[in-house]
Amino acid sequence: MRSIRIWFTKKDASKYISHLDLTRCLIRAFRRTDIPLWYTEGFNPHPYLVFGLPLPLGVEGLREVLDIRLTDDDYPNERVLTELNRVSVPGIEFLEVVEPVEKNLAVNKAKYSVSVPNLKDSKKIYADIKTAVEKGNITIEKKSKKGVVKEINICEHLIDFNCSFDGETVNMSFILPAGNDFTINPVSFCNALFECIGISQPLHRIVRHKLLTKDLKEFR
Amino acid sequence: MLKDKIESVLPLVQKPARYTGGELNSVVKDKENVDLRFAFCFPDTYEIGMSHLGIKILYSLINSRDNYWCERVFAPDTDMEKIMRERDIPLFGLESRDALLDFDVVGFTLQYELSFTNILNMLNLGKIPLRSKDRGDTLDIPVVVAGGPCVSNPEPLADFIDVFQIGEGEEMMLEFLDLLNVYKKDNKSRSEFLKAAAQIEGIYVPSLYKVDYNDDGTIKSVIATEGAPERVNKRVVSDLDNIFYPEKFVVPFVEVVHDRIVHEIFRGCIRGCRFCQAGFWYRPIREKSVDTISKQSQRLACTTGYDELSLCSLSSSDYTKITDLLEELLGWASPQKINIALPSLRIDNFSDELKEKLALVRRSGLTFAAEAGTQRMRNVINKNISEEEILSTCRKAFVGGWTAVKLYFMVGLPTETDDDVVGINELAQKVVNEFYNNPDKPKGKGVSISAGVSSFVPKPCTPFQWEPQDTREELKRKQQLLLETCRTKKVTFRFHNTDLTFLEGVFARGDRKLCDVLEAAYNNGCTFDSWDDKFNYDGWMKAFESCGVSTEFYANRRRSYEEILPWDHINSGIKKSFLIAENEKAKKAETTGHCRQKCAACGSNSLNGGKCDALNKNMVH
Repeated sequence: MRSIRIWFTKKDASKYISHLDLTRCLIRAFRRTDIPLWYTEGFNPHPYLVFGLPLPLGVEGLREVLDIRLTDDDYPNERVLTELNRVSVPGIEFLEVVEPVEKNLAVNKAKYSVSVPNLKDSKKIYADIKTAVEKGNITIEKKSKKGVVKEINICEHLIDFNCSFDGETVNMSFILPAGNDFTINPVSFCNALFECIGISQPLHRIVRHKLLTKDLKEFR
Repeated sequence: MLKDKIESVLPLVQKPARYTGGELNSVVKDKENVDLRFAFCFPDTYEIGMSHLGIKILYSLINSRDNYWCERVFAPDTDMEKIMRERDIPLFGLESRDALLDFDVVGFTLQYELSFTNILNMLNLGKIPLRSKDRGDTLDIPVVVAGGPCVSNPEPLADFIDVFQIGEGEEMMLEFLDLLNVYKKDNKSRSEFLKAAAQIEGIYVPSLYKVDYNDDGTIKSVIATEGAPERVNKRVVSDLDNIFYPEKFVVPFVEVVHDRIVHEIFRGCIRGCRFCQAGFWYRPIREKSVDTISKQSQRLACTTGYDELSLCSLSSSDYTKITDLLEELLGWASPQKINIALPSLRIDNFSDELKEKLALVRRSGLTFAAEAGTQRMRNVINKNISEEEILSTCRKAFVGGWTAVKLYFMVGLPTETDDDVVGINELAQKVVNEFYNNPDKPKGKGVSISAGVSSFVPKPCTPFQWEPQDTREELKRKQQLLLETCRTKKVTFRFHNTDLTFLEGVFARGDRKLCDVLEAAYNNGCTFDSWDDKFNYDGWMKAFESCGVSTEFYANRRRSYEEILPWDHINSGIKKSFLIAENEKAKKAETTGHCRQKCAACGSNSLNGGKCDALNKNMVH
C-alpha cells in the first residue's frame, strides 16, 4: 500500500458541485477505472479519500489536492493520471500524481483571485475597493466550531491584497487563512467587501490558485 | 445573453448543480448539426426527475440517433423559479442552456396526477402558449407531447397537449420523430402533421376527437375526426431482450432520490390486485432474460461507477428465474462492491432461499404491502395473501434478526366496513405478538411496526374504475378510528393527506371539463401539488368553484357499467367485460388466481400478437 497525492482543477460548471457531492463524484470516477483504490477496513469498508481543503460552493480551483492510497504498490502514477482523466467530468481535470511531500495539516493559507466583469463604473468601484481595504475594517460574523458567533475583521488577516481594473472589469488577488483551524471563506470576504462599498450581488468569479503553507510557500 | 443570465443567478440558488448540466454521460451535440431538438421535461424537481427510469431510456434512445438531440428539463425549485421570473429567464434545457422555444418538441412524462399544474407552469416558464389551439398552425412553436402511466386517462390535459404517446415509447418515439422530421423539412403545417401523426400506432391527438356531453355532465359521445382511429391502441414492446436499453445513465452530482443503476426485469404483473392501475396498464407480462439483464447491468456499472444496482418491476419475486438472476448478478457485483437492491417483493413467495441471498447483499428494512387488515377485504381487492402467510413471513424475519417492519395498508376500499379498518390494527398487533413470541428475540430490543396507511383512489383501467371514492370526511374518520383503536405503542401510523388523495381522485377519472379547472388552479398559484408543504387547497377549491365544476361528480360518484367513460377511447388492451367481471367478483369477495395459475383472459395480449410470458412460462419457484 502506498499514498499518492493527486492535483486537479475544479473549473467552470464543476464549481457548483458541493464538497459532499464532489466526494461521491470522485469515488464513482475511481470505480470507473482500474485504479486499485484502498478501502478502509472494518465492518463497513469505504473508499479512503482525503482532500487538502474543501472549496466553497461556487469557487473555482486551479490546483486542488486529494490524497488516496493504492493497494498495488506497482501501479504507476502516470496510469492513475490517464485513467482518471479518461473518466472525468467537464471542469475537473487531473494535473499531476506525486508522492506527498508535506502532511495535509501543513495547508495554512490560500491564494485567490476575483474578477468582477461588466462594471460601467469600474474605475470608481476600483477606487472604492482600495479605500475600503486601506481603511482596514471589513467585518464578517463567523461561527466557531463551538457555535459561538464572533465578529472578525478580515483586513487583519488579508495578505498581499492587489486590485486593478481593466476596461469594465475589476480584478483582485489576495491571500487568506485557509487551514484546519482557521479559515476565511473568500465568498464571505467578497460579499462583505461588496456590501461595504454598496454594490449588490455583482456577477463575479472567484478562483483559488494555490494552497500555501504557514510561511507562504506552496504546499506540496 | 441567456447563458450569462443563467450563470449570474446560479450562485444565488439552493443546490445550483441541479441547473448546470455537465453531469457524467450527459449528451452535448452541435445544434447546427441536428435535425430535431427534443426537450424531455419532468414536471417535478431535479432530484425526483433524475430518479426516473423512463427518462433515462428515452433520453439515450433519442440521442442514439445522430441527427436528434434530447436534453433534460426539470421543474425549477421555488427559489429558482422566483429568480427566473424576476430576471426574465425562460425555462431552458440543461445541456445547451437554450430556451424551450428553441426546441422542436417539448415532451412531458405524466407520472402522477398531482404533477399536472407543474406542466402548465413549465410551459408558461418556457413561454409556450398553454393551450394547443393557441400555438398557431406552423411547426415553429414546439410540438408538446406527453407520455407515461397517466395517459391511461389523458383527458384532463387534452387542451394543453398536442400529442399523447399511449403506452411504451421505445419504438413509437422514433417513429413519431421521424415523421416530424419529414414534415418539418417539407414545411408542412401543424395540423397536417398532427393528422398524420394520429396514424402512428399509439399516438393520440386529442384535438382530433370531438366530445359531447349529456345534460347530467356524463359523456354522450366521443367522435374521431380527420381519419384518426376510433380507439387508440396502447403501444406495447414485444421483446424486452431486443429492445433499446441505455449503455449509460446520466450520473447526477447532487444526491437524487434513486441514485443507482436501475434495471427493469419484466413488465406487467401476474397478480391482478384490483386496485392497482400499474398491474393492469403494463400488461401483458414480458420478461427480460437473465443474460440480457446481467450484461446490460455490467455495462452500466462500468459507465457510471455506481455501487448499487436495483432491480425493478411491479413484483420482483414473480420473475420466473429470480434465484438464477440473483446468483448471476451477485457473481460479478459482490467483488466490485456493488449492492443489489430488490424492492417490490411480495410477501407470499419470500422464500428462505431468497431471504438468504438478500442478506448476503444488505440488510435493509422489511416492507410488506398487506394492503388490508381483514381477509375479506384482501379478497375483495384480490390481494391473495392470507394472514398466516403474513405472520409466518414476519416470524421468519424476526428470527433472522430484523426488528423493524413496515406495513402498507389502504383505507377507503370498496365495500369496506369499520371492522375492516379496525382489522388493520388487529393485524399490526399480531405482528407485534409474533416478535415477542420469538424465543430468540434480541435482548433489550423492541419491535417497531411502521404502518403506512394511504387512501384508496379508484383508477382507470382497473376493475374499480366505476367505484365511488370515499369522501374526505369519511377518510379522515377512518384514520381517526385507526388511531383510537390502536392499543400498542409499537405501531406508528403514517397517513396520506386526504386533500391530496381527493384531488388525485378527481383528476384520475376526470374528463376535458377539468382542463379549465386546471388552468384556473394554476392561475390561483397552485404548483407542486404533490408536495405537502406546497399544496394549496384553497387555490384548488376556488378553481372548481369559479369553473362551476363539482368535485363529487368525479370523485365520489358511482358510475354505471353502461356510462361512456372519458378514457374509453384509449385501448389498454384490457377488455371491459373482464373488468366488469372482476368488479362483480370483488363485490362477492371472490378472488381470481394469478396469471400463471390460470389465464384470466384479461385481453391485454391482444396488443402483443397474442403473446404473454405468463402463458408461455408456466414456471413455479
